[in-house]
Amino acid sequence: MAARILVIEDNSANMALVRYLLSFSGYVVLEAEDGMQGLEAATEHHPDLIICDLQMPRLDGYEVLARLRARPATANFVIVAVTAFSMPNDRQMVLTAGFDGYLSKPIEPERFVSQIEAFLPAELRALDRSSGD
Amino acid sequence: METEALALMAAQSPDAVILLTPVGSVVHWNNGADAIFGFTADEARGRPFSELVIPVDRIDEQRLRFDEAIANGASTYESVRRRKDGSLLYVDVSTRVVRAASGASFVLSAEKDVTHIKVLRDAKLMEARFRDLLESTPDGIVMANPTGHIVIANSQAERLFGYDAGELRGRSVDMLLPERYRTAHVGHRSNYFLQPRKRAMGSGLDLAGLRKDGSEFPVEISLSPLRTEESAFVMSAIRDISERKRFEKALQEKNQELASANQAKDRFLAGMSHELRTPLNAIIGFTGTLLMKLPGPLNDEQQKQLRIVQSSARHLLALINDLLDVSKIEAGKVELSFEAVDCGAMVGEVLAALRPQANEKGLDLRIQAPDLPIIVRTDRRALSQIIFNLAGNAIKFTESGGVALTLREDDVDATRCIEIRIDDTGVGIPLADQERLFGAFARVNSGRPNAPEGTGLGLHLSQKLAELLGGKISFRSESGKGSSFSLILSER
Repeated sequence: MAARILVIEDNSANMALVRYLLSFSGYVVLEAEDGMQGLEAATEHHPDLIICDLQMPRLDGYEVLARLRARPATANFVIVAVTAFSMPNDRQMVLTAGFDGYLSKPIEPERFVSQIEAFLPAELRALDRSSGD
Repeated sequence: METEALALMAAQSPDAVILLTPVGSVVHWNNGADAIFGFTADEARGRPFSELVIPVDRIDEQRLRFDEAIANGASTYESVRRRKDGSLLYVDVSTRVVRAASGASFVLSAEKDVTHIKVLRDAKLMEARFRDLLESTPDGIVMANPTGHIVIANSQAERLFGYDAGELRGRSVDMLLPERYRTAHVGHRSNYFLQPRKRAMGSGLDLAGLRKDGSEFPVEISLSPLRTEESAFVMSAIRDISERKRFEKALQEKNQELASANQAKDRFLAGMSHELRTPLNAIIGFTGTLLMKLPGPLNDEQQKQLRIVQSSARHLLALINDLLDVSKIEAGKVELSFEAVDCGAMVGEVLAALRPQANEKGLDLRIQAPDLPIIVRTDRRALSQIIFNLAGNAIKFTESGGVALTLREDDVDATRCIEIRIDDTGVGIPLADQERLFGAFARVNSGRPNAPEGTGLGLHLSQKLAELLGGKISFRSESGKGSSFSLILSER
């Protein structure tokens, strides 16, 4: 069964891109337009993976991460930061903060899905399902 | 009657008249002693005289004089005393041993305050000797005797502190200091006369001078001891540093402004990078999905045009990255970590990454390197960026033939030199463009049709990085006959 992936992203064009790439590969995409919505969606739906922008209105990515990690029920969610902050220190900052992964924007459309799948257990990868079709 | 008159005389004498036991304890202390030394008779009685009024550096002398009086019956001398408030004064002392009717003996000491007379006498001598010399220096000069009284001040000092000519003579130097420094100053001064030494300007603390009108100004003071036959003096050269303090303050403020401007610039650059990348994400992303034909097939023209969109977007991204690198180098913010790097392996990695581009153009790409590995201590990321840039340029500007990378090592005057040379058979660099080749945005061949695009920052960046690594990039080229770029890293 393909993973349900929550995408927290305030830029609609970038949301459209990530949504397109992930759904094309067979994933179920949940969407949140800002950090607050993202936090609620994560708590309610328990997605298999969260892709989170950093700079967002209301709650930024770091705050979303901190609040999810603070509660036992959501503390172990797999959360990958996808951000246009790409100065040399940014990767280190993101990983130190406790994100499971870091991808910088612009993403590489040819590799993005496989980069994200690296954070999913084999049974949740869409490739397995499509090969079973 | 006579005893009473004598008692009255002793009590009312303007000089200090003091009666001491043979071990030096105060028995009698007249009004004059009270007036001169500041201790009342009640305070003084029963205490050792030396503890009351003898400065630390005079204790031995006092003991000698006292013993002399006991032995000879009398002693006359000039000395220094310390008042209750710590200030010093000169006294003329006349001591004699007296015997009471009971048979007990005492030491009677009559002490006259000669501070002012002495200062004026010293002043006269010093004026005659030093006035002309002191007037010829640009600094304010004040000379004081060991009791801290001014014997001479040059006119520069008078002007500095706002006094009339001669007005400072005989006054205490303490009046040139703000109140808060005075107590400490008395201590400093007696220490200074114990161990006189030269103290240069600027070696002191932040000091202030006090003008006659009560205003303060920052000063720098140098001290030097001056010994004459008559006495020891201390000469202070005083400089008003208000102007310099103002400059320093202005400079400090300017530095702070610059620092915060720099921070603002850093924030701006980081913000700019973020804002430019956000729309580029969608442009590069959707161009990619179209070219991957995820939504459906493309005809040749669509595919060609999308490739142009893609390469232009990537160009823009490269430009943003290079600009950030350049601004980081210029702000001195590149963090290098030097480690042992195998040059051959690194060149191999770079060529492997560039090989697809070379293959696409049918170029021959080869490495010439010695059998033994060449290890150099350098920053891996910077070196790789330079080689990538130079080799990438070579492929970009070569249409036929090939690109060769040569790696070699040489010792020149005990300095180990590592050369990484990239030769191509490309278009070469016109003589007119060669001079500004390493400048920012110095794109060459720009007039040619179908000229390959670059950010115009690659060589500029590479040269700056090479300099950070302690190396240099040089080149030889002839238009139409290819180019040869050489990075030389030297290691002592």
